[in-house]
This record gives sequence, structure tokens and C-alpha cells, in this order.
Amino acid sequence: MLEARGLSKSYGSVPAVRNISFCLMPGQVLGYLGPNGSGKSTTVKMLIGLLEPSQGQVLYDGRDIHTDLAAYRKCLGYVPEEANLYPYLTGEEYLDMVAMLRAMPEVRKRRTIRALLQLFSLWPHRHVTLGSYSKGMRQRIILIAALMDNPDVLILDEPLSGLDVTSALIIKNLIQALSARGKTIFYCSHILEVVEKVCSHLIILRKGQVIAQGPTTEVREQIGNSSLEGVFLQLVEERDVSQVANEIVDVVVST
Amino acid sequence: MRRATKVLRRRWRTFKRTPLGGLLRLFVGRMFHGGAEAGSDSLGMGVGVLLILLAMPGLLASLLMLEEYGSLIRYMRGDGVFDPFVATLPDEYFFIVLSMFVTGVATLWRWDSLFLDRRDYMNLVPLPVSLGNIFWANFCAIVALAGCFTIVVNAVSVILFPAAVVGSQDSILLLLRFAAGHAVAVLMASTFSFWFVFAAAGILLAVLPLAMFRRISLVARFAIAIVLLAQVGSVFTVSRFVLDPSHYRSTLFPPFSFLGLARAVWGRGGEPLVADMTKASFASLAGVIVVALVAYALSFRKAFIRIPETPDAGPLPRAKVSFSLPASLFAAFLTPPQRACYKFVAKTLLRSEEHLQVLMGFMAAGAVAAANVLTSPHGFTSILTGNTPSLEFLSVPLILSYCLVIGIRFAFEMPVDLRANWVFRISLEHRWTEAREVSRRVLLVFSLSWLVPACFLLTLLFWGWVAALLHATIVILCTIALVELSLFKFRKIPFTCVYPPFKSHSGVIALLYLFGFFVFTTYIAQMEYWALLSPWRAIWFVPLFLAVVFGLRAHRKQMLDMDKELVFEDLPATGL
Repeated sequence: MLEARGLSKSYGSVPAVRNISFCLMPGQVLGYLGPNGSGKSTTVKMLIGLLEPSQGQVLYDGRDIHTDLAAYRKCLGYVPEEANLYPYLTGEEYLDMVAMLRAMPEVRKRRTIRALLQLFSLWPHRHVTLGSYSKGMRQRIILIAALMDNPDVLILDEPLSGLDVTSALIIKNLIQALSARGKTIFYCSHILEVVEKVCSHLIILRKGQVIAQGPTTEVREQIGNSSLEGVFLQLVEERDVSQVANEIVDVVVST
Repeated sequence: MRRATKVLRRRWRTFKRTPLGGLLRLFVGRMFHGGAEAGSDSLGMGVGVLLILLAMPGLLASLLMLEEYGSLIRYMRGDGVFDPFVATLPDEYFFIVLSMFVTGVATLWRWDSLFLDRRDYMNLVPLPVSLGNIFWANFCAIVALAGCFTIVVNAVSVILFPAAVVGSQDSILLLLRFAAGHAVAVLMASTFSFWFVFAAAGILLAVLPLAMFRRISLVARFAIAIVLLAQVGSVFTVSRFVLDPSHYRSTLFPPFSFLGLARAVWGRGGEPLVADMTKASFASLAGVIVVALVAYALSFRKAFIRIPETPDAGPLPRAKVSFSLPASLFAAFLTPPQRACYKFVAKTLLRSEEHLQVLMGFMAAGAVAAANVLTSPHGFTSILTGNTPSLEFLSVPLILSYCLVIGIRFAFEMPVDLRANWVFRISLEHRWTEAREVSRRVLLVFSLSWLVPACFLLTLLFWGWVAALLHATIVILCTIALVELSLFKFRKIPFTCVYPPFKSHSGVIALLYLFGFFVFTTYIAQMEYWALLSPWRAIWFVPLFLAVVFGLRAHRKQMLDMDKELVFEDLPATGL
């Protein structure tokens, strides 16, 4: 069970995240939504233990993650927002390195890497350097790296970024399958339709604060809007998006 | 005057707004700041620091000349009156070589930024800008860079060296004549060096397929660096060359010919040799510039315009060099995270172009220093004869070991793709204190794995088993001690932290490196020579080695835990 208790983080005097609390049980998928600058990345950094909260704590199975960060990270799979990888390592070498950093047993490591590379259609490219990979291929490598040690908690930050339609569909189904196997998944995304489809619970952030929280269906019902897009626009956007679009066209055409 | 300045300023402002002006500014900026993307973590020093670094050798050399030619010091030494135009010939040649070396190295450093690349193509060609504008703007930027390097490298010596030599004499005309000769020679030598390196790059780019060019680029740079370093070695033989008519032909080639240029301005232009040297210097400079221009035009046509037809090769292909056997031997007793870091570090050193360049630079310096020792006045044959290994022979592995260890240690501080280091940050805790062990293994594998067998076999060939065993053991012990010293406060995973800022004591560190080189390659070689005269004396190396290793270990034990923890300096914009 992953729990955030009153998480707050300030950079100097600027608050990035204020009093965020949630409890994520095994099998649940939490969608974490918010516009740019709303504090999503800061929350993710605190959840993976890279940032210490100014206030509050992150608990895993009832214990503060900072009491034994190594043990917590052993149970954690993480997909960052950008697939920043070492461009001169090959796909297989990179996965091998991550597996060793996670101290995976040798036999299991080889078997898992091979199987996942094949399933993610990267086996023929395993000896190609990551710098030559397309964005989607790099994203798949990151996903394999996050999944290969069978983590109990998955923190996914825009995992579908750059993926083709087939791969994106696979990942959507994968998230559901992992959740059915009791994995705890924290899903940070901008793609509302995916969040709507795969997430059992939802948190919507605005300016570092939670403005809506609960099971996805409940949040929709509370706002009285049938689609998540409608909910999001109603809660988060201060401007009329169609009006802004029209104004942009006016500027472009008139100048 | 003020009006002319105003007009010039207005014209410059108008020019800046034209496409050519905008492109020129873009390319000049790229050449000074490097071609790396924003946020990529290449050695991003500011223009100011770069200019200071370029001017520093000239400044140091000029200050040394004050010691040699200063009137007070000469008076205290009891030296009499001297003819500055004859007495300073070796030093003038030294300045010529120094300016060529510094300019050449700076150009090699900017090798990748000189030519237009795929990013330029993708950003500029779709815009309504003609290819001609792009061609000329980049060319003007190259000329500006050449001018800047030439002026900055020589600015200090043009003023200080003449002041040191003839500053104490009353004649201002003498000072001006001396300064003019020196300035013409060093400026032309610098210009020659810049265009020589540029022409080499241009020819390779024009002749070779793009993929092959990228592959061979590093080797070419290494070879040019060796040539530049070898020129520095020629300083010691200059008097033999210049004053001896039997070396007439050699004096017509750079860098010797530029000395003729200085002598011509100093009033010796009537001498046939000086006249020929002057002509040769002009011819060589003109020749290299013409070749560079042709190569630039051809490379633009062949490499830049055809970029859409060539696939994006991505980063350099994997290195073919395999360290698998020694690597697995040394990695055998490491924990899995240590092994992961070890492989990462070894592969980065072999595949990251920037790091390989640094490593090659140090190795080139080591190779030249070793070659210099082997071509000492005693002669190469005498080095390999005798009952025991000669001092020169013993110092060669120490020179190579020092340059390699210090080079790798220096490269460790250079970050690589910092945004990708999140994988270490989320996998390893701050309490993980084994990073030093990883770095130690890498340093030892890269140095000892080839140096020790080579030492052992060569010594065995000429001096037998005992000398071979002792020599190999001493090289191992000294290298281990050096590695321990170099990693004394190191607590990072190499390449994963931001580049350390240039600190106030960086000059002291550079001096320490030089001092270390002197001690390691001279005193230890002398000790070893003394030890090998009677093998039992070699036992002295053991307590010395133990004192260094255990002394460092004891000191480290006393350090606070927080000073031993793994560090990852935070970046303002990480990928997380």
C-alpha cells in the first residue's frame, strides 16, 4: 500500500505542492492529472524518494520510504516523463545495467530481458545503440526497465509518450492486467481518454493543490459531467478553450 | 571619428537584421559555445574562461622570459650585453611553436562545431534562406573564429615578450622592430595552424562518406594532436636546424619557416636562407588557406546539401575494442550494482566521443613524452643495452601510466548525458559508498591490463626474468598507489555529476599535476634504477607502497560518514 500523507513541497518560498494525501491499495490505478506546473513532477519525485517533502511523508506498507529507501526502490518500477538514456549503450546493455543495479539474479535477468525485448518488438534492435532508437523505441526500453524486476508499485509518468498505436494499446491493456495482478499503479498523464479508461481512481491538481479526488466514476458524477475532458476543463481551465483557439486564428490571419 | 563610429554601428545594426547577419551571429555563437544542445552537459565553459585559457600559455611563457632576459636578473647573473635578434632565436621559435600548438588544439576542440550539421540543415533549410547565405555566414563565422583564436593566443606575448627582451633598452624603434617581427611570426603561425586543422577536417569530410568521417574523426584528431605535440619537441633542436646550412630544406617547412619571417622583419631579409624561409612561410600559409577553402566548399556540397539523402547515424557506433577478458577478470569480485557501474564507466570511456578525446589527448601527451625520453641524447640503442634496464626505459611505463590514470581521472569529472543519470539516482542510495571501488577497478584495468604485460615482455626480452618480474611489480605497485591518490576524495559514479566549476585553486591543481608527473616519472624511475642494480633493494618499494595505501585508508576512516556518501549534484533542469 502506497500512501501520501499531507505532502507539501516548497522551492524556497514558492510552494509547488500543498497538502496532498492519498492512499493507493494493491490493484488500484490512480490517475494523476493537472495542467503544466500544477505539481505533478514534484509529487512523482517525492514518491520515488528523490525529493524529501517539506512537510508530510510517503509511506509504503505503513513505513516512511526514507527509512529504507533501497528496499522501497526494489519494489518500485518507474517510467520517467522523458526517456533520457545513455545514447552510446545498446538496448540490451542498458537493460542489463539496470538489472544489475537492481541486483536481479543472473538467470532471471537474462530470461526476462530476452522475453520482454521480444514482446516489445525490440529483439532485432537489441544491439543497436539507444541514440539510434526512435522515441517510441526508447519509451519501450524504459517500460521494460521499469517492469523487468516485477515491481509491486509502478509509477508511470506519461508512459504512452511517443508510442505507436499498437504499442499504446498494449500498454493500456498491460496496465489493466498488472492492476488485476495486484500491482499498485500511479499513472501521471495528460491523455484524458486513457486515464479515463485505465484508472480506477483520480486526483486532479491545480496550482499544487488537489481540487478533485476519488474513484473516477464518483469524480465525474460529483462534477456532473459525463466525460473526463469536461470534468478537467471545468475544474482546471480558467479560460474558454474554444475562444482562445478563435483568438489565435484571428491573430494569425490578421497579421 | 565619432560620426564614423556611429555610421559603422548603424550599418552593423542593419546588417544584424539581414538573414546573413542573423545566420552569422548564430554560427559564431555555436562555434564559441559548442554544438551541443541546450541542457546537454558538454564542457560548457563561458567565452571569458575560454579566452583566458587560450591566452594563459602565452602569458606564462612571457613571464618565464622576464626571468631570462630581465635586465636586473641578467645583471645579477653577470651576463653582458646581448644581440636580441640572435640570442632570442630559440625563444622566438618556442613562441611560434607554442602559438601553433595552442591554436591547433583549440581548433581541434571545436572540430565538430566548424562544419554545418544535420541540426543546422533541419532548422535552416526549410526557412526562406538561400543556401548561399548559409554557406557564407558559416564561412564568415569560421574566419571570425580563426581571427579570435589568433589574436587571443598571441596577444600577451606580442606585448610582454618584446618588453622582456628589449624593454630595458632606450631605443623605442628597437622595441617596435622586435615586437613587429615577433607579432608577424606568431600571428601567421597561429593562422597557419588554424587553417591546417580546418583543411584536414574539410578534406576528410569532402572525401569520405559521412559515416566514415565520423568514425575516423577521432583518430584524425589524435594524429593531428600528436603532430602538434611533436612540434613542441622540436624546440630543443631548433638551433641545430636554423644555424646549420645542412638542414636548409627542413627550414623551409613550418614551423621553422615562420622564424624566417621574424628575422626578415628584424632586418635579416637580405640573407638568402632568411629570404627563402620567408617566401616558404607565405607560400605555406597561402597554400593551406586555399586548400581549406576548396575543402570547405566541397564538404558543403557533399556533406551538407546531401544531408537528407543520408541516414541519421545517431551517436558513434560501438567501439570494436573489447576489454571483455580483463574486464571480466577484474569485475569478478564486484557486487551486481558495482558491476553495473563498472560496465557503464568502461563503456562510456570507450564510446563517448568527448571522453575518448580527453583520454586520447592525455595518451598523446604521454606518447610524446615517452618518445622524447627514448630519443634522448644517449640514443635508442644504448637504452636497450647494458646489464640492467636504463633509466629512460624504466621511466616510459611510468609516464604512460601517469598520463593514462590522470587522463581517465580527469575524464571521470566530465558528465555525460546528465538527464539520463536518474537511473542511478533511483537505484542507488546516498549511503552506497562503493563508487570508489568501481572507479579504482576501471583505472586499474585500463592501465595495468596492457601496460604490465608489455613491460614484462620487453624487459624479459632484454634483461631476463628477475628484472622483468621486478619491473612489472614496481609498475603495478606505483600505479596502484597513484590510483589511490587520485581517488582520495572521490565519491561519485563517474560521469553522473555536473562539471565541477572552475575554482580559484584550479591553477594549483594543474601545477600539482605537473609536479606529480615530474616526481612520478623522474624520481620513481631513478629509485627503480637504483633498486634494479641490486634486486634486494627493490624491497624498499613495499613499505613505501603500504605507507601510501594504508595512510590514505586510515585518513579516510577518520572522515565523517557524510563525506563518504555518494553524491549526485542537482541540476536545475533534470529529466525527472
